[in-house]
Amino acid sequence: MSVVFTFPGQGSQEPHMLRSMPRHPVIAGTLQEASDLLGEDLLLRDTEDALRSTVAVQVALLVSGVAAARALQAEGARADWAAGHSVGAFGAAVIAGSLDFPAALTLVKLRGELMENAFRQGYGMGVVLGIPQQKLENIVARTFSREEPVYLANYNAPDQIVVAGSVQGIERVLATARQEGARKAERLQVSVPSHCRLLEPVAAKLADALKQVPFRKPAIPYASNRTGRTLLDPEAIREDLALGVSHPVRWHEAASLLVERGARLFIEMPPGRVLTNLAKTAFPSIRSVSAADSGLKTCCILANRFKAND
Amino acid sequence: MHRDNRTAQSERSWTTRRDAKAARVAKLEGIAHGRVIPTESIVQALEALIAPGDRVVLEGNNQKQASFLSKALAQVDPSKVNHLHMIMSSISRPEHLDIFEQGIATKIDFSYAGPQSLRIAQMLEDGKLTMGEIHTYLELYGRLFIDLIPSVALVAADKADRSGNLYTGANTEETPTLVEAAAFRDGIVIAQVNELVEELPRVDIPGSWIDFVVVADKPYQLEALFTRDPRHITEIQVLMAMMTIRGIYERHGVQSLNHGIGYNTAAIELLLPTYGESLGLKGKICKHWALNPHPTLIPAIESGWVESVHCFGGEVGMERYVAARPDVFFTGRDGSLRSNRALCQVAGQYAVDLFIGSTLQMDRDGNSSTVTSGRLAGFGGAPNMGHDPRGRRHSTPAWLNMITSDNPLERGRKLVVQMVETFQTGNCPVFVEELDAVQVGRTAHLAAAPVMIYGEDVTHVVTEEGIAYLYKASSMEERRQAIAAIAGVTPIGIQHDPRATERLRREGIIALPEDLGVRRTDAKRSLLAAKSVEELVEWSGGLYQPPLKFRSW
Repeated sequence: MSVVFTFPGQGSQEPHMLRSMPRHPVIAGTLQEASDLLGEDLLLRDTEDALRSTVAVQVALLVSGVAAARALQAEGARADWAAGHSVGAFGAAVIAGSLDFPAALTLVKLRGELMENAFRQGYGMGVVLGIPQQKLENIVARTFSREEPVYLANYNAPDQIVVAGSVQGIERVLATARQEGARKAERLQVSVPSHCRLLEPVAAKLADALKQVPFRKPAIPYASNRTGRTLLDPEAIREDLALGVSHPVRWHEAASLLVERGARLFIEMPPGRVLTNLAKTAFPSIRSVSAADSGLKTCCILANRFKAND
Repeated sequence: MHRDNRTAQSERSWTTRRDAKAARVAKLEGIAHGRVIPTESIVQALEALIAPGDRVVLEGNNQKQASFLSKALAQVDPSKVNHLHMIMSSISRPEHLDIFEQGIATKIDFSYAGPQSLRIAQMLEDGKLTMGEIHTYLELYGRLFIDLIPSVALVAADKADRSGNLYTGANTEETPTLVEAAAFRDGIVIAQVNELVEELPRVDIPGSWIDFVVVADKPYQLEALFTRDPRHITEIQVLMAMMTIRGIYERHGVQSLNHGIGYNTAAIELLLPTYGESLGLKGKICKHWALNPHPTLIPAIESGWVESVHCFGGEVGMERYVAARPDVFFTGRDGSLRSNRALCQVAGQYAVDLFIGSTLQMDRDGNSSTVTSGRLAGFGGAPNMGHDPRGRRHSTPAWLNMITSDNPLERGRKLVVQMVETFQTGNCPVFVEELDAVQVGRTAHLAAAPVMIYGEDVTHVVTEEGIAYLYKASSMEERRQAIAAIAGVTPIGIQHDPRATERLRREGIIALPEDLGVRRTDAKRSLLAAKSVEELVEWSGGLYQPPLKFRSW
């Protein structure tokens, strides 16, 4: 048990992320499959302009993650665990074998639409570096108001935490964090306050849609964002995909758990390297590579080597 | 009446344990050849020898792991073997907890769970295991002979012969203790070995204590946990090491001690032959040690500082060096190191002048903990050594030096030193209002908060700012002031009162580097007797053979 495939979330998108994917028949096939299912050419939907849409970003991240993971599998690389950050969790559920790709596409598209339509303006997210979790929780508790709510949303690393909520609430947290020694505290370029209670209506609608979709027992454990646990129960995965959108992403906890459970190689699906960098910092003794930087071939060789040493 | 009692007694069997063991052992007929279980039959053998509800000691300490047996235990059929009560000094490997998810085991008593500290906290929260207690090593070993007597012991050794005699060599660690608890109360002892040989280099555990041996598919897992690459020692750590040598070891005449495994104590080891020598301290301090064969101790040994070292366990790569220095280390007739964790813990508790360690958090009263939120790491052995054993009766100059009153019944104290930088990496203050351990204790429903070292036992705190001589403080308030005075700009440190600090300094309750004759500008890495692993190898004359991960050449 040693290889993790990780699937990045929003923020990792890049212009031309789909058309610049490695040439591989499985990747080409997956892109075609997704385009056919959605009834639109996805290769035309990854321009800088098109990726201003949350829907387009989430769909593109799902497709690139699943396409690359399938190509790695076709080349003989096997994952022992699947872990996705935020929307990346859908790709993880597909590759774990719990959810079909066509269903995931429909669900992610719906998720993006629900999120895009839930908030018009005045909301967003912000990132704080260099303030430990407990201290940031105190800051958020101190500055919270019902009118201008703000919540902790992503626990990416012990000292890298994202907050979500109203813009005023976020700005207050960021200002206090700066005063109390944050290395960096700034707004993110997103308009949806993901992973907090404000998204509960979105989670409810997503849950309804998820109920219509069959889930299977996964072939490999799936790492849950919401609980920081690994899951093998299909119903628990279904629930995690729905509630994930309105609960904090406990990424660091989930990744730490995988390391304790024996993970020794993290391979991040394209296009990003965010999760790779988090893993490199948090687990210096664990090997972490991104398919975007290292290429499919290197990822395959490493996956097999780590497997052989199991 | 008298007669009736005797009749009742004569009807009672006094050999139920022995009979039960014989019945289980008989089940291995056809599986084992004499005492040897074939490698491929181990799962079947465990299913025959272990009964539901058994108390099972599985050897896993912070270095040596009975990894073949732990993997085999994770493969038994839970319908045959279940509800085990596991007793482990260290929960280190994934399968140590897998067996709880599979229903093979339900209850755990342990000492240390560092490598699995998040998962065990989650499983406890999720009700997937029942917690017994979290112990120090000595407490756990003690309970093996009182109320946690094992039904089965699964242990690891290097070699065995066909009579079951074991060679555990440098990594003897706690194996004899675990085996003794099971063997002499009709428990079943199974040892995995790396190889079966005709003749052992020496017998570490006699065959009459062992029921079965099995050759493992690969050697037991062994980690090099006590190797600190001098390259990573910072000049702040050099400064703190200089202060400690002058302000504590020299001042109190510390002759026997235990060091933790931090870079700051590695710095002390590497400063003895240089800075210590320049102060003329050789032969006056740091002569007798209770600690593993730290590679960073090589220059001090080679320079003639060290008279004796008794070890908890071995250290990968140090085998040949240790074997070549039998005047210093405990070695067998075969030449190799003999370690013993239980005895070394006792030595570190009762027989040394000083314990020095590090911590992640300390509160205003000097209580410290390495627990961080959401994790249940346990204690290991530090609290055994990091406290004042009040049953101590023999005296040494350092112990007597802690006496602060002229009461005729006054006795000495163990020196318990905490050495910390005021901030950890990532802007995390070490000195905090409340230890994370308090919250962790509450969340995990522990009977007591998991405090590593209690403030009342701490005699000295060393930071990059100075030393607090807590044993001299006359009141709780003064202790707090002394800690705050050297706590830098942490939440505790910024509360210090500059006037109180000046008074404490005049009274010698705190000392700044300049008060100790230590110049901050002298604290250079160039003072380290070895600045890299290569130089340690050089000091050892090529006898130290560091594992690959510490080699850069």
